[in-house]
Order: sequence, then structure tokens, then C-alpha cells
Amino acid sequence: MIPTDPRERDALAAEYVLGTLEARAAAEVAAALATNPALAAEVTAWEARLAPLQALAPPEAPPPDLWQRIEAALEGHAAPAPALAAAATPAQAWRPWLNLWRGWAIGASAVAAGLAGLLVLQPAPAPRLMTVLLTQQDQPAWTVEADSQGALRLAALNPRPVAADRVLQLWALPQGATAPTSLGLVPATGQMTVTPRTLRPEPGMLIEISLEPPGGSPLGRPSGPVLFIGRLTRAGNS
Amino acid sequence: MTDPSLAALLGRVAGGDPAALRLLYQAQSVRLFGIANAILRDRDAAADAMQDAFLRLSQRAGQFDASRGEAAAWLGGVVRHAALDQARRRGREQPCDDPALGDAAVAPEALDQVLAADEAQRLHGCLAALEAKNRQGILLAFVHGLSHAQISARLELPLGTVKAWIRRGLLQLRECLA
Repeated sequence: MIPTDPRERDALAAEYVLGTLEARAAAEVAAALATNPALAAEVTAWEARLAPLQALAPPEAPPPDLWQRIEAALEGHAAPAPALAAAATPAQAWRPWLNLWRGWAIGASAVAAGLAGLLVLQPAPAPRLMTVLLTQQDQPAWTVEADSQGALRLAALNPRPVAADRVLQLWALPQGATAPTSLGLVPATGQMTVTPRTLRPEPGMLIEISLEPPGGSPLGRPSGPVLFIGRLTRAGNS
Repeated sequence: MTDPSLAALLGRVAGGDPAALRLLYQAQSVRLFGIANAILRDRDAAADAMQDAFLRLSQRAGQFDASRGEAAAWLGGVVRHAALDQARRRGREQPCDDPALGDAAVAPEALDQVLAADEAQRLHGCLAALEAKNRQGILLAFVHGLSHAQISARLELPLGTVKAWIRRGLLQLRECLA
């Protein structure tokens, strides 16, 4: 029952917006919004007051097929939809971390480019792009190759186990993007091939591996330390 | 952040233009999915909440009133409530010591970084004036969708105290922002 006392009603509106109401009370408020203009005005005012807190949630790329799911649900039948371009959203929360990453990349990309020259391997099909992911001590640890189909192949140069309660997660950050995209968890074998659906490997794209809790980062960006990093460059004429 | 284009897109959605909903999705999905995922801490559940939210948007875009708030904030609100409903359906079973929450739970520094920037400064100042646990309770509820019981367990405070503090904190915020 929605209180008629303005103070009580406003307190209810506040807790509705905050999210702390139990299911039944929340449903009651939601249903009353259409018929109780005073309550609706209070809810709207609380939404506006607290809205800046939305920025505290770290931006995260949704699953690539989510729009197709939504569209199918809207139309009541499965409809094929062309792949979406990744929608990047600027996020203040990113900046310090991103700057750190960029700072690193400027220093280390020269090293990586040099190593990439040494590591033009013999594959078929020839990789279009590649990089070597380095440790924080600039030791080469992984190779990453991208072929002309957009597939990325990751291979450990010197496989080492990680702690039992930790996993390695692979990330890509296109130049100019404000948020990295997870490419998945690195299997224990240290070998994986992934074809990102929302981005295309291109020169200058940063690739990194972070240490994460089981299941991967909950944040949509690395939550643990970045152990390895490199920048894709064009492979030599092999 | 005034964004007339988002408001215009909402107007087109209200007018029945299906392409506009997709443009909204393209412009906002990373931010909105982040909001849902911070509450649910489960990408599958967050995807369900997004689907639910976009169905609601397709029906209720006409309820957006540009004179009473920003379009981005309104969109975020629709997604938050869809995610909160999802969390309630799941019995908010995520324990308060959910490792996925871990250190990622909103920290004071995060608040400084995010809110220092723009018009959120007033809210920041008013939140800063609250007692620390009071402020933390409000942030855990808003950003991570924690219930009173989960906040009480996480902050190691009696349930009744948490309820009273949050209520008082919200009241203080309203006065401070008035």
C-alpha cells in the first residue's frame, strides 16, 4: 500500500530508486507509478538525484549476439541481423587505467616491433599481423598472430602454470577505443585461436593478458594485474 | 551530460521507429550492459536484463520527459530496474562476500574519479558529508543491487541499523541537494 503521507511516500520512492525494496514492495511501486502522479514525480526526482552514480558501474561490452536476441524478442521471431559495430562509450572511470596502458605501450612497442621482426615464423596461411607479448621485465612470453580472416592465434613461448585459483584472460584494445574487449580465458595449454566478433585485428591494436579470478574479470576490463602486453604490427613479407 | 540526440532517439522510439531503438542500443549498450552487470555480476543474467529493458523501452519510451532529466540517466534507470527485478527473481542469491564483487565493489576513490568531473559534484559533496558506512551502504545498493540483508552482512552491521541508516542517508542527501 502506497503511503499518503508525503514524507513516507518520498522515503518509499527513494528506496525504490535505490533498489533496496523487496520484490513485492518494488512491484507495488512500479504498478502505482501509472496512477499515482505524486509518487511518480518523487520517483523521477530520485532517479535524477542519484543518476550520476550510474557512472560507477564499469562499462562492459555485451555479448555480440545480444542485439539479435533483443530484435528477435521484439519481433516475436528470430530475425537475422548484421553484426553490430562495437559501441564504445566514453567512461571517465577508464582514463587512469587507459593512460597507464598507453604509457606502457609507447615505451614497449619499439621492443615488440623489433622482436616481431625476429619472430616471423613459417605459418600457412601467413599471418597478416603479429606481436609478441612481453612481461613487465620485457621478456617475450607469448606470440599473437592475426590472419587475414580476422582470427587471432595465441601461443605461449614458455608455458608456465598460474596459481590454481587464478586464470589468464586475453584482451584487445583497438586504437582510439576507450574500453578493451575480452577475447576469452586462456586455456591451460597456452594455445588458443579466437575470432573476435565485434572487432577486427588491425595494426596498432593492443593485446594483453591479465591475471583474473576464476571465470575471468567481473569488470569488463582487467581487474587483476596485466602480466603481458603487446601491440599488433604488420608481419614481415614471409 | 546533455545529449539531445539520445532524447531525439527516444522520441522516435516512442513514435514507433524500430531503427531508433537499434541506434540507442548501439550508442549506449556498453554503458548499459555495465550497469546491469554491476548489479547481477553474471553476464548471462545481465544479457537477460538488457533484453527485458529494451522490450520495456520499446513500449515506454514515450514516458521519457526531457524537462525532468537526462535521456542517458533515464535509460540507465530503465536498465537498473530491469536488472534489480532480475536480481530479485534470483532471490539476490549472490552472497555479500561474492568474490566477483571483491575489491571491485565501489571504493571511495572510484567515487572521487567518477564524480569529480561534472555536474555530479554536488552529489559527490553531499555523499561525502554522510557517515562512511552510510555512504557505502547507499553505493552498494545503487551500483551493485545489494539488499538490506546483504549490506548488513557485508558491513557487519545489524539489519535494523542498516535499514535506518540508509533511510536517514537518503533523507540527508535530499536535504543536501535541495
